[in-house]
Amino acid sequence: MKLLQYGPRAVLAEFDTMAQVMNAAHAWRSAALVGVVDVVPAARTVLVVHDGSLETSRLVAPAATTLVVSTSETVILEVVYDGADLAEVAQTCGIAVQDVIDLHSGADYTVAFCGFMPGFAYLAGLPPPLQLPRRSTPRTRVRAGSVAIAAEFAGVYPRESPGGWHLLGRTEATLWDDARTPPALLPPGTSVRFRPT
Amino acid sequence: MITVMSWGVAGSVVDRGRAGLASLGQSRGGAVDAVSLALANRLVGNAEDCAGMETSGGLVMSFGKATMIAIAGAVAEMTVSNGPAVGWGSPVVLPVGAQLRVGRLVDGARVYVAIRGGISQYGDELIIGADPATPAATEPAPRPSLTTRLRVWPGPRLDWFLPTAWTTLTASTFAVTSTSRVGIRLTGPALVRIDDQQLPSEGLVEGAIQVPPDGQPIIMLADHPTTGGYPVIAVIDPSDLHHAAQAAAGTIVRFTPAR
Repeated sequence: MKLLQYGPRAVLAEFDTMAQVMNAAHAWRSAALVGVVDVVPAARTVLVVHDGSLETSRLVAPAATTLVVSTSETVILEVVYDGADLAEVAQTCGIAVQDVIDLHSGADYTVAFCGFMPGFAYLAGLPPPLQLPRRSTPRTRVRAGSVAIAAEFAGVYPRESPGGWHLLGRTEATLWDDARTPPALLPPGTSVRFRPT
Repeated sequence: MITVMSWGVAGSVVDRGRAGLASLGQSRGGAVDAVSLALANRLVGNAEDCAGMETSGGLVMSFGKATMIAIAGAVAEMTVSNGPAVGWGSPVVLPVGAQLRVGRLVDGARVYVAIRGGISQYGDELIIGADPATPAATEPAPRPSLTTRLRVWPGPRLDWFLPTAWTTLTASTFAVTSTSRVGIRLTGPALVRIDDQQLPSEGLVEGAIQVPPDGQPIIMLADHPTTGGYPVIAVIDPSDLHHAAQAAAGTIVRFTPAR
């Protein structure tokens, strides 16, 4: 772990793997360190935002401990697999459409981090045969609830937006609700599965 | 009740925003210049975090009942019909039937309008909250001096730039090309990176100065994306953020080392 100063109220911790990122983010959130305002994991880093009072040396010990995998309840997302890119993904991967559905819905996912828009969770755990680069031309409009994949991640669009991920299907789940605590259905660390309907 | 006849440029109802949700993909939001919204609220006797209005000019509203308001933030040409004049930093009661227009901005980038009681619900009609029962200011607020000299701390990716980049950043002038709730685009001498290595997206803070491949810096404001893939060369000192928030297009800014 490398700690990079990020002004007077933040520090950026850099790691070699996403597993280390998820572990440290979980450890720091669980440690509830005094003065910490936000713990923001990304692909290879965790941003720790604080009120100016955090001594960064206090981050070292919790991050060095490997925690037991989260025992939180698994969120199951019901999916209708009728996405616009389903056939193309099957073709590119050299497998049948049903194999795409079986692989996608057969995997256990964990939210690695959120970003792009409120409530958009990057789900780690996508089986390697489904890992494809993003679409070369992003769509200008992707419907809310679209279930999609890109690179090593699965995800669900919380609201309508432009998007470059491959669309496999859709879910009725509400990914973001301002009136809910927390407003995101899938905060970092959440276990997720997709179930075909 | 207040009817908004025109929201104008980037007009919206704002409060102080919500910190602590960046891990869910949501940045603070709220007033870009939270210091000015707090001042406007204090002037009318509200709690500092009451919802008010933010606009970059062209906001027009009419009053269905006598209402106390105050203006802070940028200086704008204010026009009132059927009511007394409204100046910067003084609470004024506008009578039933008055119409207020926040016109062209003269100095600064964002005007804040606080309404006594705060805004509790909004669409094109604003519902005003309960009277705060605390007195409004009896004297006009002195106008805080705005500076275009912004203190900066080294950012997490300063070492991705040529060793001269920090000096280029802190000894040059940069012109604001545009400002939005997301950020400020600047133009000036290019901040040159050592190579074109890709940065996996990482967390951003308000005030972070990101540098895209063209070398022209972008300052993150209240609605910034929570992660970004351009290296952050420096961070504006949090106590200077409200100055950055008032830098309108065309403003010349300088960055000085915070320490």
